[in-house]
Amino acid sequence: MAQTNPYKTFAAEIYEIIDESPTIRTIRVKPEKPIPFRTGQFIELTIPNIGEGPFTPSSSHHISDKMDVTIMKAGFVTEYVHKAKVGDRIGIRGPYGTCYPIDEWKGKDVLIMGGGVGMAPTRSLFLSLLQDIDNYNSITFLVGARTPNDMIYKQHIQGWRDIDKVNILRSVDRVPEGEEWNEEVCLITKLLSKINIKPEGNPVVVCGPPIMMKFGTMDLLKYGYADKDIYLSMEKKMYCGIGHCRHCVIGQYYACKDGPVFTYDKVKNEENIWE
Amino acid sequence: MIVKAQDFLSFLIKCQKESLGGFRQVIVPRKSRNPEDNQQLFEEINDSTEPVLESYRTIDPLRALFYFSRETLLPADKGKKRLIVGAKGCDMAAFQILDKALINEDFVDPVYQAWREQTTIISTDCAEICDSCHCTLVGGKPYTDQNYDLNLSGVGQHYLITIGSQKGEELLKIMKEVVDLSLPQGDEIDKIKKNRDAVVVKLNEQNSRFSRSEDYSALRKSDIEGWIDDSKSCIGCGGCTNICPTCYCIIINDDSTGEEFIKVRSADSCQLHGYARVAGGDTPRPKMYQRFRNRYLCKFDYMKSNFDMIGCTGCGRCIDVCAGEIEFREVVQKNMQLPKVQE
Ligand code: SF4
Ligand code: SF4
Repeated sequence: MAQTNPYKTFAAEIYEIIDESPTIRTIRVKPEKPIPFRTGQFIELTIPNIGEGPFTPSSSHHISDKMDVTIMKAGFVTEYVHKAKVGDRIGIRGPYGTCYPIDEWKGKDVLIMGGGVGMAPTRSLFLSLLQDIDNYNSITFLVGARTPNDMIYKQHIQGWRDIDKVNILRSVDRVPEGEEWNEEVCLITKLLSKINIKPEGNPVVVCGPPIMMKFGTMDLLKYGYADKDIYLSMEKKMYCGIGHCRHCVIGQYYACKDGPVFTYDKVKNEENIWE
Repeated sequence: MIVKAQDFLSFLIKCQKESLGGFRQVIVPRKSRNPEDNQQLFEEINDSTEPVLESYRTIDPLRALFYFSRETLLPADKGKKRLIVGAKGCDMAAFQILDKALINEDFVDPVYQAWREQTTIISTDCAEICDSCHCTLVGGKPYTDQNYDLNLSGVGQHYLITIGSQKGEELLKIMKEVVDLSLPQGDEIDKIKKNRDAVVVKLNEQNSRFSRSEDYSALRKSDIEGWIDDSKSCIGCGGCTNICPTCYCIIINDDSTGEEFIKVRSADSCQLHGYARVAGGDTPRPKMYQRFRNRYLCKFDYMKSNFDMIGCTGCGRCIDVCAGEIEFREVVQKNMQLPKVQE
C-alpha cells in the first residue's frame, strides 16, 4: 500500500563519470540505500538546486547498490549532468513503471535494437539478460548511432562480442571525415536484413529516437514480428512518474504507469505515439 | 434535522472564531464584489461575509481548495482542519475523478490526501442556475447524493440537514450544542423534491439546444477541420483548464538544496505550448488546434477510460472564463456530428 510519500528522494554520490560521446555521458552512482529495480523501469533523477528528470538506468537490474545512468545533453537538467563532477551528490526517486518481462523469455531468441541514447535502457536489458544467459537461446543486439563518434559503450563491445550466444551488429548513418569505422554504414533498421532470427514467438525490443522507433516497428512487422512481441520504450514527459501529472498520457494510458515499456499491440491505436 | 438559516450562519461564524470542533477555517461562497459579474467565490468567513449558500456554483472550482496551484509535496505540506460549506453537485462529482487519480492503490498525493482527510464538506442544493450550467447534460444533478458529510436543502428560511458520513454526524453533534435543531414537520421532503425537480427542468430547458448522444467516441473520430475551425478564437491561455473542477495536471518542480530534497507541484495546462515537450524540444501537440482538441478528448475519452466517468461535470466554468468566448457545449455537440472526411 502506498502509505509512504511517493516523492521520497534518496541521495546518491557520483563515483565515476564516463564521457561516452561528445553529447552522451554515463554517471555511475552509489545511492545511500540500494534501489532495486527491474530492467526497463525508470527513475527520477534530481540535480539539487537545478531540477529533476526521468531516466532509465543503463546498468543491470541484478545490481541495486550502484547504478549507471547514461544521459544525453538535451536540455536544462541534462546540461548540468554534463557539468557534474565525481563526488557530487544527486537524488534518486523511484523506480517507476513497467519492465521488460524477461522471465517470460526463457529459451527464446531475443532481439534488441538500440539507437543513439536509446541504447542506454537497452544496455540495462542486455546486461540483465547476460547474467542468466543460459536461460535464452540467443541475444542479438543491433546498435545504431549517427556517426562513429556518437557510438556509446565502445569500450565494452569487444568483451560482449566474445560471449557465446551473443551477436552484436552496429551501424552508423554516416562516417564524417577523420572518423574511423569498419562496421556497417546504414540506418539501424537495415541491419535486420543481416540477421537470421525466426520472428514467430520471439521478443524484440526497440528503443531510440521517435523516428527510429516508428520505422523500426514498421520494419519489424514486415520482418514477421507480431504486434504483441514488439516491446517499445516510450519517451514521454514523465514529470511525476506516478500517474498524477498527466503529461505523459498516451490516449488512455500513462507512459509512466502503464509503460514506459509497452507492447506495440497495446498502443498502436492511440494517437501520436511516435511524437 | 431542520435548522433556521440565520442560526446556521451564526454557527459558522462561531466555528471560525472559536475553533468549535477544532476547525481552524470555515470557507463559504460569497457574492463577487463586482456587481456586473453574477458570480460567487469561496472565501474564509468573517463578520461581514454574506454567504450565498443556495444559488449555483462558485466561479472558482472546489478542486482548487484541495489541490492548490502550488504546494510542497516533499516534505509534504500538512493542511489544517477546516469546514467548507456550499459545495455543489458539479464540484462534488469531480471528487470521483480526483480521488481515483490522486489517492489510488499505487500512489497517493500526500497533500491532496491531507486536505481531503482534514476537510468536512457541507454541500447545498442549487436553487438557481447560471447560463453556463449544464450538469444534467452530462448525467449530473443540481444537488449531490455522494461524498458529502452533511447536505443542506433549502426550505423557506430553513435548511433540511442530511447526514452523509461519520464526519457529518460529529459536526451535527457540535451544531446541536450551539443552535436549535428541530425535527422535520413532514412535508419538507416533498418540498425539497419539488425544488430539485424544478431546477432540473430549468437545466433541461436551458440545455436542450445542446443535446447530443452519449457515445463520446464520436469525438475522436470527428473531422479535424471542425477542430481547426473551433479553435480559431482560442488564445491558448489555459483559463479553461485552470477553472475546471476535474483538471489536475501539474508539473513537479525541484527546489532541492544542498542538504534537503524538496519537491513542489504547480498547476499546469494542456493548452500551453510547452506542456508535453520532452527534453530535446519535441512536443506531441505543437499546434493550438491539437491542444484544443486534446482537452475535449481528455475529458470525454481518456478520462472515461481512466476513471469510468467522463471528465466534465457540466459546471460551465470554462464557458464563463474563456477569453475567446468559446461555447464548450456547442463545440462538443458540433464535433460529435462531424464524421471524419477521410484519413
Ligand atoms: S469541462 Fe468545463 S463544464 Fe466541464 S467540468 Fe470542466 S469547467 Fe466544468
Ligand atoms: S479558456 Fe478559451 S481561450 Fe483560453 S485556452 Fe481555454 S478554450 Fe482557449
